[in-house]
Amino acid sequence: MQKYHKTEQKYPELRPSRQRVKDFDEVYGEFRPENAQTQSERCLQCGVPFCQVHCPLHNNIPDWLRLTAEGRLRDAYEMASRTNTFPEICGRICPQDRLCEGGCVVKDFGAITIGSVEKYITETAWQEGWVETFAPERENGYSVGIIGAGPAGLAAAEQLRRSGCEVHVYDRYDRVGGLLIYGIPNFKLEKEVVARREKQYRDSGIQFHLEADIGNGLSFAELRGRHDAVLIATGVYKARDAKLPGSDLGGIVEALDYLIASNKHGLGEKVERFANGELNAKGKKVIVIGGGDTAMDCVRTAVRQGATKVTCLYRRDRENMPGSAKEVLRAEEEGVEFVWLSAPEEFRSQKGKRVDEIRVCKMRLGPADASGRRSPVPIEDGAFGMDADLVIKALGFEPEDLPVAFNEMQLQLSQWGTLKVNRQMMTSLDGVFAAGDIVRGASLVVWAIADGREAASEIMKYIEEKQRRAA
Amino acid sequence: MKTMAGYEDMVGLYHPEDEHDACGVGLIAAIDGKPRRQVVELGIEALRSVWHRGAVNADGKTGDGAGIHLELPKVFFRDYLQRVGNAVEEDASFAVGMIFLPRKDFAAQEEARLVVETEIIRFGYGIYCWRQVPINTEVIGESANASCPEITQIFIAGKADEDEESFEKNLYIIRRRIENEIRERHIQNFYVCSLSARNIIYKGLFLAEQLTTFYPDLNDRRFASSYCIFHQRFSTNTNPAWHLAQPFRTLAHNGEINTLRGNINWMSSYEASFGSRVLGEYADDLIPVVPPGTSDTGALDSVMELFVRSGKSLPMAKLLMIPPAWSLDPAVPEMHKKFFEYCNCLVSPWDGPAAIAATDGRWVLAGMDRGGLRPVRYAVTDSGLLVLGSETGMVPVKGAEVLERGRLGPGEMIAVDLKRGKLLKDFELKDALASEHPYAEWVQPIVRLQEIMQGRPQKEGEKEGAFAPVFSDTELARRQLAAGYTLEEIETILLPMVRDGKEAIGSMGDDTPLAVLSGRYRGLHHYFRQHFSQVTNPPIDPLREYRVMSLITRFGPIENILGEQADLSEIMHADTPILLTAEYEAMRAHLEERGKAAMVDALFDADGSPDALRRGIDTMLAAADAALSRGAHTIFITDENAGPNHCAIPMVLAAGALHTHMVRTSMRKKMSLIARSSATLDVHSLAVLIGVGATAVNPYLAEASVAAAHGKKLFGDISLETALENYRSALAGGLLKIMSKMGISVVSSYRGGRNFDAIGLSRSLVAEFFPGLISRISGIGLRGLENHVLAGHRIAWHEGKVAPLPVGGYYKYRAQGEPHAWEGELIHVLQTACATGSFKQYKRFAQGVYAQAPINLRDVMDFRPDRGPVPLDWVESVSSLRKRFIAPAMSLGALSPEAHETLAVAMNRIGAASNSGEGGEGPERYKPYANGDNANSSIKQVASGRFGVTAEYLNNCREIQIKVAQGAKPGEGGQLPGFKVTVEIARLRHATPGVSLISPPPHHDIYSIEDLAQLIYDLKQINPDAIVSVKLVAQSGIGTIASGVAKAFADKIIIAGHVGGTGASPYSSIKHAGAPWEMGLAETHQVLTLNGLRHRVKLQTDGGLKTGRDIVIAAMLGAEEYAIGTMSLVAMGCILVRQCHSNTCPVGICTQDEKLRKHFDGSVEKVVNLMSFLAEEVREILAELGFKTLDEIVGRSDLLRQVHQGGADLDSLDLGPLFTQVARRGDGPSICTMTQRNEVAPSLDETIIKDAKEMILRGEKIQLSYAVQNTHRSIGTRLSSLIVRSFRPEELQADHFTLCLRGSAGQSLGAFAAHGLRIEVAGDANDYVGKGLSGATIVVAPPPSSRLVTKDNTIIGNTVLYGATSGKLFAAGQAGERFAVRNSGAKVVIEGCGSNGCEYMTGGVAVILGAVGNNFAAGMTGGMAFVYDEEGGFPQRVNDESVVLQRLASSHWEGILRDLVEEHARETGSLHAQNIVGQWDYTRGHFWQVCPKELLDKLEHPLEDAGYKVAKRA
Repeated sequence: MQKYHKTEQKYPELRPSRQRVKDFDEVYGEFRPENAQTQSERCLQCGVPFCQVHCPLHNNIPDWLRLTAEGRLRDAYEMASRTNTFPEICGRICPQDRLCEGGCVVKDFGAITIGSVEKYITETAWQEGWVETFAPERENGYSVGIIGAGPAGLAAAEQLRRSGCEVHVYDRYDRVGGLLIYGIPNFKLEKEVVARREKQYRDSGIQFHLEADIGNGLSFAELRGRHDAVLIATGVYKARDAKLPGSDLGGIVEALDYLIASNKHGLGEKVERFANGELNAKGKKVIVIGGGDTAMDCVRTAVRQGATKVTCLYRRDRENMPGSAKEVLRAEEEGVEFVWLSAPEEFRSQKGKRVDEIRVCKMRLGPADASGRRSPVPIEDGAFGMDADLVIKALGFEPEDLPVAFNEMQLQLSQWGTLKVNRQMMTSLDGVFAAGDIVRGASLVVWAIADGREAASEIMKYIEEKQRRAA
Repeated sequence: MKTMAGYEDMVGLYHPEDEHDACGVGLIAAIDGKPRRQVVELGIEALRSVWHRGAVNADGKTGDGAGIHLELPKVFFRDYLQRVGNAVEEDASFAVGMIFLPRKDFAAQEEARLVVETEIIRFGYGIYCWRQVPINTEVIGESANASCPEITQIFIAGKADEDEESFEKNLYIIRRRIENEIRERHIQNFYVCSLSARNIIYKGLFLAEQLTTFYPDLNDRRFASSYCIFHQRFSTNTNPAWHLAQPFRTLAHNGEINTLRGNINWMSSYEASFGSRVLGEYADDLIPVVPPGTSDTGALDSVMELFVRSGKSLPMAKLLMIPPAWSLDPAVPEMHKKFFEYCNCLVSPWDGPAAIAATDGRWVLAGMDRGGLRPVRYAVTDSGLLVLGSETGMVPVKGAEVLERGRLGPGEMIAVDLKRGKLLKDFELKDALASEHPYAEWVQPIVRLQEIMQGRPQKEGEKEGAFAPVFSDTELARRQLAAGYTLEEIETILLPMVRDGKEAIGSMGDDTPLAVLSGRYRGLHHYFRQHFSQVTNPPIDPLREYRVMSLITRFGPIENILGEQADLSEIMHADTPILLTAEYEAMRAHLEERGKAAMVDALFDADGSPDALRRGIDTMLAAADAALSRGAHTIFITDENAGPNHCAIPMVLAAGALHTHMVRTSMRKKMSLIARSSATLDVHSLAVLIGVGATAVNPYLAEASVAAAHGKKLFGDISLETALENYRSALAGGLLKIMSKMGISVVSSYRGGRNFDAIGLSRSLVAEFFPGLISRISGIGLRGLENHVLAGHRIAWHEGKVAPLPVGGYYKYRAQGEPHAWEGELIHVLQTACATGSFKQYKRFAQGVYAQAPINLRDVMDFRPDRGPVPLDWVESVSSLRKRFIAPAMSLGALSPEAHETLAVAMNRIGAASNSGEGGEGPERYKPYANGDNANSSIKQVASGRFGVTAEYLNNCREIQIKVAQGAKPGEGGQLPGFKVTVEIARLRHATPGVSLISPPPHHDIYSIEDLAQLIYDLKQINPDAIVSVKLVAQSGIGTIASGVAKAFADKIIIAGHVGGTGASPYSSIKHAGAPWEMGLAETHQVLTLNGLRHRVKLQTDGGLKTGRDIVIAAMLGAEEYAIGTMSLVAMGCILVRQCHSNTCPVGICTQDEKLRKHFDGSVEKVVNLMSFLAEEVREILAELGFKTLDEIVGRSDLLRQVHQGGADLDSLDLGPLFTQVARRGDGPSICTMTQRNEVAPSLDETIIKDAKEMILRGEKIQLSYAVQNTHRSIGTRLSSLIVRSFRPEELQADHFTLCLRGSAGQSLGAFAAHGLRIEVAGDANDYVGKGLSGATIVVAPPPSSRLVTKDNTIIGNTVLYGATSGKLFAAGQAGERFAVRNSGAKVVIEGCGSNGCEYMTGGVAVILGAVGNNFAAGMTGGMAFVYDEEGGFPQRVNDESVVLQRLASSHWEGILRDLVEEHARETGSLHAQNIVGQWDYTRGHFWQVCPKELLDKLEHPLEDAGYKVAKRA
């Protein structure tokens, strides 16, 4: 161990950009075992592991790095899966440079490649058959309903099932995985990775109810009646919008619609708006607005769909963008052009129906606000025009109006429209818990997993307390 | 009660039993056994010449005690008796009792007289009369006078038909009866100095030189004696206690008994079975052998007296109690080994530094401990006298009269048989004793465990001869859970022990909560903190001096230790107390077959029923009692039968309870206690178990865990047997280390000694199960333990799937584990604050610290203001407060040069101080840089390695700090691995780049408190301006140690806490040694105040100080200065990686790697900001509390209160003793008022400088001549200060200033003597010649009139050239022990030396033209040694772990050797050297060349030349 200054940082081989833009396969290769080992040996085994401190799941990263370095992959996998429901998924899609690897104390020498090792460990576990089902030895007789088969719901489901609960997961879509399946492009997370988890879940006795849109068919009240506790983990799907002149022109789409269509297409489904070209970037000049991870997913999907030109507009600069710097680098390699310090001001159309030009206003960064981020200020007379055939708005997401959707007005909301929960993660309704983006607002998968796990433990406490009182 | 008579009661944290003493001791004997007046006069004379080994009380007049033991001057007393009207025949036998009676309480005095008379008459003797001893109280100090007893003599008539032997024995029994009766009647201030028909003791609380003034009797010429034993005491305490003055009835002792508590316990368990041919019917009168409240020497004396009165000879008694280290010494004959083995079976050694002078009436004897840790020099004169003492020259004997000058080596003795009129040396004495009985036959029946192991049938399931218990995966996991294992514990503690065979290392101290404050139960052993030696006795180096240590463990009953022959037929012998399961099983089977074994479960019901734990303990004790009464003698207590329905009793508790029970019922010596313990994993848990009384331990669950890991192939190809052996040797090494840091060398003396502080154990629990263990703040009791064990048990044995083991977080932070004071977030906030200078940001940090769960004792304290606030403006300034902050010792070597200099520059800039640490400092830093930055550390440290400690170094500072112990590893040495020794570091430390450097555990010139006084004296000579501070680590009893340090003229005392320390050390030391500074500081402040010493020393504290609040609390508990270590590193960028030992620090602070050092991002400003923040917060708190200056609150512990009572599981948590305001003695204030340093007595140098200052300053060559004696200490040192301050070395010739001295030079001759100085002594010299030699030349040779054969006689003392960096020494004679230890540059020729010669040497050349002692060149990593081995046998005296030895094979090296021998012959006129040179072709074949292994590939001139002509072998 502690070889960080002797061994160079090395990520698994990246497929050449020219090759990778031609398909939707994952862009990173696998670590070769010896690389995983030598990279893990770089870890300093800190007294205060800032990687863990900065990890929402508080993964015991130094421990499984050491075990990997020692060649004890099975122990490493067991350690990694102790705190993380989907280590292979986090290894792939977490913005490590903002979390664990960003906290790594040797990042001046190149941070430890934590994410890649995590993925390597867990993929090895899948290959070796170490990933087991988790049906409990004894059922505890309690039943929990979970709304949403995304990362938060799934993380909670696993924990609850392990504790002996009967677990039912409801989702309005036809597949298990939520954003993991529909939101995240294949080149970051191949769908097979999610599918094998689904199988593990089903084999462990978790029951999925798909295409079950609560409030629209099965009522929320009925659901509460069926279960001893309910967890709402629906995520946030409503796109945030920028009301600008020309917003209602054709050729301006929401990021999520665009990504879902692409993913469904990739899964072999027929998607009408894709087929008709509305959500297909092929042959188009594409402009994506936004600087988050969703925007990155959109630009890179567009490149792969065969867009003639892909541009990303963001109103702050590179240093102040919310998305992962690593993703920006990958996108740039793949030919995406970034226009920093630029915000759309108007969508225009020569022909009337479809957008063909965006007026862009140049920005500069003003002083830092309370959150420490510098907010952009428009520069007068700095406007210019850009050609566009397809504009994808990736401006973030907002919660849907759940009280209305669930027809449950007792459900209290925060000022941002997310669900209000107490410290025990319980909503204003007894026995109804909430976790993930619907509480936190749009955030990272790893946060959803963390919340889901925490909610599960709160639900268990709630159930046990109920049991104790009943006894 | 512990106290016996006249003690003050316990106050606050002061406990009288912590007191230590040390001294000067000696004897004079007429070898013909005929009384002479001369003997008495010389004894009185000698006492006058050891005054500097004693100490003076705060009143300036009260000594710590002195006394003299003489043959009874019968003529004098008979004349007296006749004069006062007694009819005494000329040949009538009579006895005299010298008795201290209560002086002020007349009723008690009357009662005491009555008791004395009654017991005498009851035994059938008549009484002549009482005599009031004439005394002169004018010469004693105020406090001695206040406690002065009524000093009387009683005269007892002997019986005509009785021989002297029998009379003497009866007098002994009478005295014991008197003492017991007096204790029964609670009469205070009564003491019998002596009661004998043969001898008498005059002693008291005065300075040594006042002996005859106080007791005019002694001036009477009729006081004649064939021997006299004398003693001068230096005690750490200043409570006047007349009875503690020495000599005692049998012996006088200079040293310390480290194993006292265990020895006394064992002794009391023998008591029930005393049976002596001689004392027979009176056995009951002898109990207790060691009366309560006896000092360590008193206890040693009591037991030795018992042995000699019961018929053993005095030499035999010495060997029983203070045996030599024999088992690994190849020079000990087999017959002696059998004899020593027999002795060891009977008595566990009384271990510790000891020079004793003793007599039983027939023998007069002096003896030395096994380590040779005290000086004893002797001379035999042609008038038939043996003159012996701590120093040579105490009694002036003319050179021409001396037949022999010698010294006592480790474990040696010398004796005069007064009856036969014969002087006997060590070997003769031992040989005679060993051949007295057929000891080989006597020890023959002892069964060796190894033999049983070899003979036993293979067990099923046993692989490769090893047998670890096999559990299924789930069962193993459950058991591990129940025992409290974590993955961290297994992975980072257990497995490395298997892989490396030794303990894992960590860095950066301990910032987790004290066990008693933690929300998690970590096992009972976490409440025990290891004791360690500091100042009053030296720790041992268990790695390089393992030959004096032993883990040999004997099982089985010893019935009667006083009898002629003890029955050893049931004794079993094992090499270690750590039993692997295979051995455990074999032993059990062996004993079960013979009906001698009993299995006893240490379990309690897991059903949650009330008091289950107590019932479990009772059941266990009852089962053990029953087994013993059935005839078993070995109790196996085990928790292996724990399961769903039964919890394990914490094994430490089970073993402690059983041991205590058996001691109380006097059965302990008849049984062995073997603990099969699930919770024993690391070395600390093992040490606690043995420390509370387990005979041996079987760590079965750890073994099973090792086996499981072995099954997973985690150790490569090694066999399970090897894996387990590695684990055992790691445990054994760790146990030796823990014993050694207490200065204990044999496990039998450590066992049951409870050498711990309990921190957070309930007082009643301790009193019941661990009596004698010190527990000052109370804490968890039985109920709390029961709850914790049950909670763990429930998780472990929960139905359904077994839970995974917790990940840990105790050693390194984990989100799921223990809190750590240094959290990631806080580190960042503090670093931002320091980088930006934002006090607001700093306050965020402080708030974050305050919001943490309690970690330290101060976290459960708060302020109790006694007044309203004052405006902030009124409070003293930041600038003024910052000056009290110190950047504590972190060496250049540990720190990178960048970090080290940044700290120094920052602290200098704000007028505060930084400490160089142990590693020297480059002279270029002594002057400010061109840009004005001053990188000179104003505190220079002197540590045990003495690296770079030169006269120049010591003259460039304001303060010299003696590091006696450090928080990270008190009592341990250190090692700077070769890869960290860069060219730069090698330059500073006078070493070779790439060669590792060892810091020994002790300062080899501080084995005792008077040695510390001497070192302080040396340092105050070499720098006439600097103050001297002494760094100690908190532990119970530190207050009395600090008092001793204050009396040794220290100006400042640093109390470090256990948490601190940035240094690398074994985890068990970081985690389990030392106590919180809150306790140590409070105790020190209280005891210094009680003793009236507080005003003459400043107190400083360190250990995890992080906020202004911490500093204010430290002030209230008594500290005036505050060291900020870890935090100043954090300010410079440290992020607590805790890998300081691996040279991989990513922020360039704690590394020597060039590449990494570039990443250092610290700055002077960041450190200055930190200090300013702390000062500002202190100001805010002071304003809030209503004080204007920090001085106003120093020692105001009444302004503190406890705000948290600890967890619900605690019986109580009582910080009250920390807050006690003690009464001051005298008018000394309770804060330091010294504006200058405490000045020491002037040295001869004062005269020298007066005589020649002008000439010296003009740089004239001069030669001065003086007569010297042993009271002239540190000659040349003060002069050297003047030299280095006035000249650069190149300006002076080697003999520019020459001192010609005649006589016996005192200690530290030529200490730190600088280039340009030449000292010639015609005579001899004492210890520490050439200590820290810095360029001077010293020549010591016998006076021209001497008849001595130089190579056969001792001419210089112990620890010569310790830490010498350059210069030369030629001594025509032998040196004592530890010659040239840590020499790093001096060239020296001598003609023989004691043990441990050239130890840890890193440079220079040592030539020894004669015999050397054992363990030569241990840990020597540099320099070269040549030994002239005429007799043969040198190779077996070498510790060849780090050196190679060969015959001369290089003309280069032969040339160097020959030049030095010639120079020696020239300088000293030694005939021996002249003979060697004269027959060089012949004699060169007798030389051995000793070269460090690490040096072999770095030598400029290799050890072998191609064309070298090998000398003819003799």
